[in-house]
Amino acid sequence: MFGWSELVPAFPEILVLSMACVVLLVGLFTDKKKGGFIVFLSVITMMFAAILTLKDHVAGVEFTKTVIFNGTFIRDEFGDMLKVVVYLLMISVFFYAKQYLRQHDNLQGEYFALLLFATLGIMVMISGHNFIALYLGLELLALSSYALVAYNRNDLNGNEAAMKYFILGALASGMLLYGMSLIYGAVGTLQINEISQAIAGQNNDMFLVLGLIFVIVGIGFKLGAAPFHMWVPDVYEGAPTATTLFIASAPKIAAFALAVRILGQSLDVLMIHWQSMLATLAIVSIIVGNLFALQQTNLKRLFAYSTISHIGFMLLGLVGGAEGIAASMFYIIVYTIMAVGGFGMIVLLSNKGMEADQIADFKGLNQRSGWYAFLMLLLVASMAGFPPLIGFFSKLYVLKAVIDQGHIILAAVAVIFAVIGAFYYLKIIKVMYFEESETDQAIDASFDVKTVLSINALAQLGLLVLLPVLFQYCIRVTGSL
Amino acid sequence: MIISPELFQQIIFYVFATFTIGSAMAVVTVKNTIYSALFLVLCFFNTAVLWLLIEAEFLAITLVLVYVGAVMVLFLFVVMMLDVKQAKASQLKQSYTKAALLIAAAMLVQLLILFAYKLSGEIPSNELVRQEQGYSNVAEVGMTLFTQYVYPFEIAAVILLVAIVAAIMLTMRKREGNKQMDASKQININPAERLRVVSMKAEKATTQAQSKEEES
Amino acid sequence: MIASYFPILLFLAVATGLGIALMSLGLLFGTRKTNDEKISAYECGFEAFDDAHMKFDVRFYLVAILFIIFDLEIAFLFPWSVVLEELGGFGLVSMFIFLFLLVIGFIYEWKKGALEWE
Repeated sequence: MFGWSELVPAFPEILVLSMACVVLLVGLFTDKKKGGFIVFLSVITMMFAAILTLKDHVAGVEFTKTVIFNGTFIRDEFGDMLKVVVYLLMISVFFYAKQYLRQHDNLQGEYFALLLFATLGIMVMISGHNFIALYLGLELLALSSYALVAYNRNDLNGNEAAMKYFILGALASGMLLYGMSLIYGAVGTLQINEISQAIAGQNNDMFLVLGLIFVIVGIGFKLGAAPFHMWVPDVYEGAPTATTLFIASAPKIAAFALAVRILGQSLDVLMIHWQSMLATLAIVSIIVGNLFALQQTNLKRLFAYSTISHIGFMLLGLVGGAEGIAASMFYIIVYTIMAVGGFGMIVLLSNKGMEADQIADFKGLNQRSGWYAFLMLLLVASMAGFPPLIGFFSKLYVLKAVIDQGHIILAAVAVIFAVIGAFYYLKIIKVMYFEESETDQAIDASFDVKTVLSINALAQLGLLVLLPVLFQYCIRVTGSL
Repeated sequence: MIISPELFQQIIFYVFATFTIGSAMAVVTVKNTIYSALFLVLCFFNTAVLWLLIEAEFLAITLVLVYVGAVMVLFLFVVMMLDVKQAKASQLKQSYTKAALLIAAAMLVQLLILFAYKLSGEIPSNELVRQEQGYSNVAEVGMTLFTQYVYPFEIAAVILLVAIVAAIMLTMRKREGNKQMDASKQININPAERLRVVSMKAEKATTQAQSKEEES
Repeated sequence: MIASYFPILLFLAVATGLGIALMSLGLLFGTRKTNDEKISAYECGFEAFDDAHMKFDVRFYLVAILFIIFDLEIAFLFPWSVVLEELGGFGLVSMFIFLFLLVIGFIYEWKKGALEWE
């Protein structure tokens, strides 16, 4: 039956869970004004989780996939790579959140505890090897996110955003669950690997395809892909910026993992069906995202629409066969790093009582601080996909995979709208460098936040060195699924 | 005349099914919201009996325990908190009726399709597997939940924990100017913190004496 | 199997029958001579100002939510207690972890003052 040694592969999860509880309790006894210790604990947790995850990957030792807890939990290279990225993202989220909450005199232990619980949900999703585990991970993440969005209780916009997020999120969860139950009804198992085998042996297509449709709608909602994107701009704008930068980053990786586990691993036999659906979602997302982003004056809304178009690119990758999944993985990793940096910049420029979430707030940033203007330039240019930044290569890999599969029209449409999209990124750059600043207020942030932000933005250049290695890793881990 | 067990079960089914449908209708037609919530309770009870009839005991118990016991209490609280006046039929928007009719029609079509399938024999036959005496559905659920699905079970605990934290974080408010007494604070009070005894030198009543002199 | 629930059915039937019977007896034999004054609400001798229904305090809401959460926990405890003997130590430990997590929630609740009625 069950040996306690089975717990070993799940140590990172256990650590994050225990530390989330510790942070919750420590937060009860900490003064609102301080709270540096809470941030420290959270960051340390992520670092140790990274060590626990990576310690099985030392050179020379063969890593083997392990499936534990009666097949509901899998520890594989794909999951571990995504988890390490999530840890890194979360560390920067913690620093930015500290800066933001300090600005608003509202730094409480619950916020970080909820972030840690959400991280746990992401990890459960990444490691899920059973539909129930995947679903519960998703719910854990979603429930924490709703609370994080509504964190500023007195902010009406935040409450409205949380309400929308909650209702649409619950709807999406319902869809996903319904799809899963239809698939379960057709094949009689919830295990990822067994579903794949069971489908191959039968041709009861109707229930399966119906289930597949609901699952894709659910995933589309969670990813915020058009036409299921209605919640994205409102939630991004209404939520506290610290929460927005969280929602924009790590959960996207979890949703990617969910899509790969469900579509790529368990429903791989139905690939013809889901590829055409995803291709539609991808193209609609790229078109809608880029066109609507052009009209935005609020930076958080603008980033929201740009997220939609980036998600479109990520989905496009999933259409491109085995290499496409690797490209798509690379894309989502790169995108989340850019997104966290972009929102981090908004946090940095905000002051007490003032959120720098309008494009106009970036006017003449170059005069106020050349360095931060340069960092923002890197982030925005990378999002737009200007060579030679990393964002360019992530788009390139996706397009290459798609073209290799023969979907030239898809690639062409994606490129055209990416070029149109470049315009609104250029607008930000223009405002920063060629317009007069309206304030001469100094940028006020603690040293650690500035460092993290600098690293985050410089990664757009620095990752170029690691580019081939990173992409090779992506190919290897997606190949070993 | 002795009624066969099968017939008896069918009679019970139809009796409780009638009650279920009747109370469900009452939920949406009754004007007083509190009555309608109470009818929902009745509806849940009857559904629980129907589930018992197909030997889904755990579900039946959960329905009574969680839905009737807790969820309906919350419903009633909300209804009473909002102070909804009795709604008049004219207040119900026409669009709601249309939407409701649409959904009802869709469900009717689904049911008809199901019947058609059943008649054409595409759905495998309908006899319920009856378990023997002593079989416990609850025990079966317990065995699966605590062996096969123990990992999702623990995640469920984390979800409940997050729910507690979120509920308190979002709804708890400390009221300003609250004059509540705190017994432990009262007991632990230290007189030294409250009262300061200052020793002062005795002074002559100079001012009074002077004023008296002036008067005279 | 299903026959073992027969006593409950009998109980239900008796309870419903008795309830209906007693109420209809009252209806049948009770004397009812009502007039407007008799059935109107009485409020210290003058006309009622408004509805007798009173709004519930919103603080009940938090109590109800917390109650639901702990009630759900019971739904898990129930099948567990039935099979605990077969599960042995493993079952005990898994439920211990489950309850431990909820106890942390309870500590949080207590410390935050959510259980206090200000």
